[in-house]
Amino acid sequence: MLDRDGGLLRGTLDVLILKSLSWGPRHGYAVAEWIRAITDGELLVEEGPLYTALHRLEKNALLTSEWGYSDNNRRAKYYELSRAGRQELRAEVASWERYARAVGKALGAATPVPA
Amino acid sequence: MRRVFRILGGPRRIRREVDDELAFHLEMRTRRLMETGMTRDAAEREALRQFGDVDTVRQGCVTMDEQRERASSRANLFAEARQDVAYSLRSLARNAGFAAVVVIALAAGIGASTAIFTLIDAVLLRTLPVAHPEQLVVIGNPARVGGASHGGVRTDLLSYPLYRDVRERNHVFRDVFATGRTGRIDARIDETGGELEHPSGRFVSGNYFSVLGVGPAHGRLFDGGEDQTTGASPVAVISDAYWSRRFRRDPSAVGRTIVVDGSRLTIIGVARTGFTGEIVGIPTDIWIPVTMQDVLRPNDKMLTDRTADWLIVVGRLAPGATLAQARQEIPELIERAVVAGSPGTIAQTFLSSAPRYYVQSGATGVSRLRLTFQAPLLTLMAGVVLLLCIVCANVATLLLARSIARGREMAVRLTLGANRGRLVRQLLTESAVLAALGATAGSCVAWWGSRGLLALSGGAQGSLDLGIDLRVLGFTVGASVGAVLLFGLAPALRAARVDLAATMRAGATAVSRGGLGARGQRAPLGRLLIVSQVALSVVLLSGAAMLVRSLRNVRNVDVGLDREHLIVADLDITARGYRWERTSTLATTLRDRLSALPGVRAVAFSENGVFSGNESSTTIEMPGFAPRSSDDTVVAYDQVSAGYTTAIGGRLVGGRELGPRDEGALARTVVVNEAFANFYFPNGRAVGKYFHISDSLTIQIAGVVSDVRDHSLTEPPPRRVYFPFVHHDAQLGTPVTFVVEVRTAGDPADLVQAVRRTVAAVDPDLPIDAINPLTTLMQDSIRAERLVAQLAAAFGVLALLLAAIGLYGVMSYATVRRTGEIGLRVALGARQSDVLRLVVREAMVLVVAGVAIGLPLAFASSRLLRTQLHGVSPTDAPSMTAAAVVLIVSGLAATLLPAVRASRVSPTEALRAE
Repeated sequence: MLDRDGGLLRGTLDVLILKSLSWGPRHGYAVAEWIRAITDGELLVEEGPLYTALHRLEKNALLTSEWGYSDNNRRAKYYELSRAGRQELRAEVASWERYARAVGKALGAATPVPA
Repeated sequence: MRRVFRILGGPRRIRREVDDELAFHLEMRTRRLMETGMTRDAAEREALRQFGDVDTVRQGCVTMDEQRERASSRANLFAEARQDVAYSLRSLARNAGFAAVVVIALAAGIGASTAIFTLIDAVLLRTLPVAHPEQLVVIGNPARVGGASHGGVRTDLLSYPLYRDVRERNHVFRDVFATGRTGRIDARIDETGGELEHPSGRFVSGNYFSVLGVGPAHGRLFDGGEDQTTGASPVAVISDAYWSRRFRRDPSAVGRTIVVDGSRLTIIGVARTGFTGEIVGIPTDIWIPVTMQDVLRPNDKMLTDRTADWLIVVGRLAPGATLAQARQEIPELIERAVVAGSPGTIAQTFLSSAPRYYVQSGATGVSRLRLTFQAPLLTLMAGVVLLLCIVCANVATLLLARSIARGREMAVRLTLGANRGRLVRQLLTESAVLAALGATAGSCVAWWGSRGLLALSGGAQGSLDLGIDLRVLGFTVGASVGAVLLFGLAPALRAARVDLAATMRAGATAVSRGGLGARGQRAPLGRLLIVSQVALSVVLLSGAAMLVRSLRNVRNVDVGLDREHLIVADLDITARGYRWERTSTLATTLRDRLSALPGVRAVAFSENGVFSGNESSTTIEMPGFAPRSSDDTVVAYDQVSAGYTTAIGGRLVGGRELGPRDEGALARTVVVNEAFANFYFPNGRAVGKYFHISDSLTIQIAGVVSDVRDHSLTEPPPRRVYFPFVHHDAQLGTPVTFVVEVRTAGDPADLVQAVRRTVAAVDPDLPIDAINPLTTLMQDSIRAERLVAQLAAAFGVLALLLAAIGLYGVMSYATVRRTGEIGLRVALGARQSDVLRLVVREAMVLVVAGVAIGLPLAFASSRLLRTQLHGVSPTDAPSMTAAAVVLIVSGLAATLLPAVRASRVSPTEALRAE
């Protein structure tokens, strides 16, 4: 899942953010923690780009945001999936599964020439 | 409210929010690290390391947020604008009457002024569509384009030899071309039978197109070689419009033969698209080399005759030369050329006549229309500008009244938390919607209005380029739309500044203080607008009344002949080559045959006739009379059949009329009109006296006849001499026209066909150029006057209606607003008639003030109409009085309805209104 420069494959961070918000509104730190936990820290080398991605997704109307209060009663910016964001997530998941199936099939091939 | 706050926050808030967000993250991460046992310092360092480049991330977030906010505020504005438009449409639909009046007023104002100015532009201002039109100079009188004279050297039209002299000897022009009438053209394409066509033609010199700088759309144009040899260039160029109309732009039209009056010409090319010749108002279809004139008109050869005057000459100034230099050089050149080239007596006559020279800019082409329509069009322009002012005032009045009446609505909406800026924007949108509707309707009115005007003024569709000038439309739309926005905005701003508490407490009265109609008001803008509207209407109405009265005078003027019972037929005898003896025979035969028709009372002939557009004049020498100016020696003349004046319904005043014995080669007797007799013989008898024409010819006056307005209803009859019709004398030249006057017992229209058939029976090939009852010709001759009077009347009525509507609107709103006050008065014992009087008095003060200001204005400005008034003084009291009375009465009528409504107010209703 790493490209040569050691960054995330293009678009992968976006889809992870969308996924992390699919259970409800979260602030940026919570999103970072979820990605860290779920990928064992493999994917998110630096946390900064996560915020650039969050703001870009908000600009593209896939997310909406609102200021609220965190569990420890601090002011935090909460992100939530918009309708368009939900659709985008569904589409990305479907496309990822197609891709993975195809690559998996290719890597598991038993014959040198297709039947 | 949060949304609004965020939109208004700007970049500083964005940066602060991004900082807050990132700080929150770093703080959370630091705490988490401290839970693993790090010191705060170490934890903070580690958090920053894990985060990466804070500055880059922060900048990226800020940029993204800014882009998002810009997009969303645009979307917001758009959505709000859509809301505003929808709201405006709903609100206008609820007040359909108000909206309709404003839109109609705007349409009338914009449409009428643009239409009139489009016509002015087409007739007076637009330059010819050629290269550098400002370099062109016209020699000759544009009013006589299409004319021709014989028998003397003239300067209003030039002879062909004189044109050659000007072309060869001038030093101011790069080159000079000549253009002259063809008369009616009988043409057939390809010699195939078919219908005869009558395209409008001009004889032009071979350098015509090169001097104008006009190229071909197809084929080739004249190259100058046509001028070398007389009669050797049987070719023609057609206009792009004729090519489209007649040949459907078929390229093979070039090379085809067009038979013009029996001569075969080959079409060699089509002139550039959009070029219709140098004459404004009469597009040229076909150009023929001037050297073909002798061939095409064998009965009227005009190429070598120095006394055949028929050409307008147009030069293109040489680099560095000016119009002033041309004005200096050309008269001197012509004088020298005439002296050098003409026989002594002709040159002598020419010099002694003190010729007037016509040398003027040709940038806008040559036109006869201009002379007829200049003053009327400018009058209408003045009228239409007045109308535009009235429209602006009217629209402003209505908007003002409405916005004041809506003061309470605004206050309520503000109280309910509406945003002030938004409210202003909404009111402005409403004005803009109104303005847009009005401007659209106005543009439509302008488009068909200018075409309607052309038809009213007697022009054929397509004879003028009526492209609406966008600058003009822009100006008129700008003026009226500006008024709408201004007067829509001012009250909007004020409404938005409404003192909430006061308005809500005091009902509508607090708002009205600043507005219309209420007593003791501070800002009498609405009243001022009404007064100025009334004043301008007085000016417009009184002017219109004068023009209408003048038209009636012109129509009913005593013309001195039997106007209801005459048929005038114009025969083209030159086309058939009639000369003296044959003309005489033709006249006799026609008289016998026509007189035999049932219903015919008399038959007469003349060269120029009545209202035919032809006129002749000559200079005379009257023994014992000392002329004070060269004009004093000029008299109009006609050549007429025996008993002409009494035949057309005039009277013999003294002596005798011309009879058969006056005709013939040796005849030296004439009849003169009263204007002639009174001018040259103020105290004596004219009959029996002698005078001279052109030094040599001595003429005796046989009789005096009554004056006849035979050419114009508006000009007084000129001094006129009647020569015998068949008067074989070179000094008078060849009559080129032959006009038959038939006097009928009944309606002349019934006999037109019989006369036509009779002429055809005498000579089937003799073309009848025109045949009409005299009344038709007279109506045509006062087209310009009718146009002005009718339009001025229409503008006047419109102004009146607008003033009345404005007053009605203002008084309606004012009384509705004062319902509370009126109710109080009624409760305190005022009677219905008291309330009625109160409202009416208030309105009439405005109307009377307007009239009082308007009358002196009308008095001062009507001088401008002087040249167009006939038998009406520019200070015509009946017109002024009528305008004043009509305005006061309409003002009263407009006030009555709101006044009656106010007088019916009951105190309980008034209380509910609070």
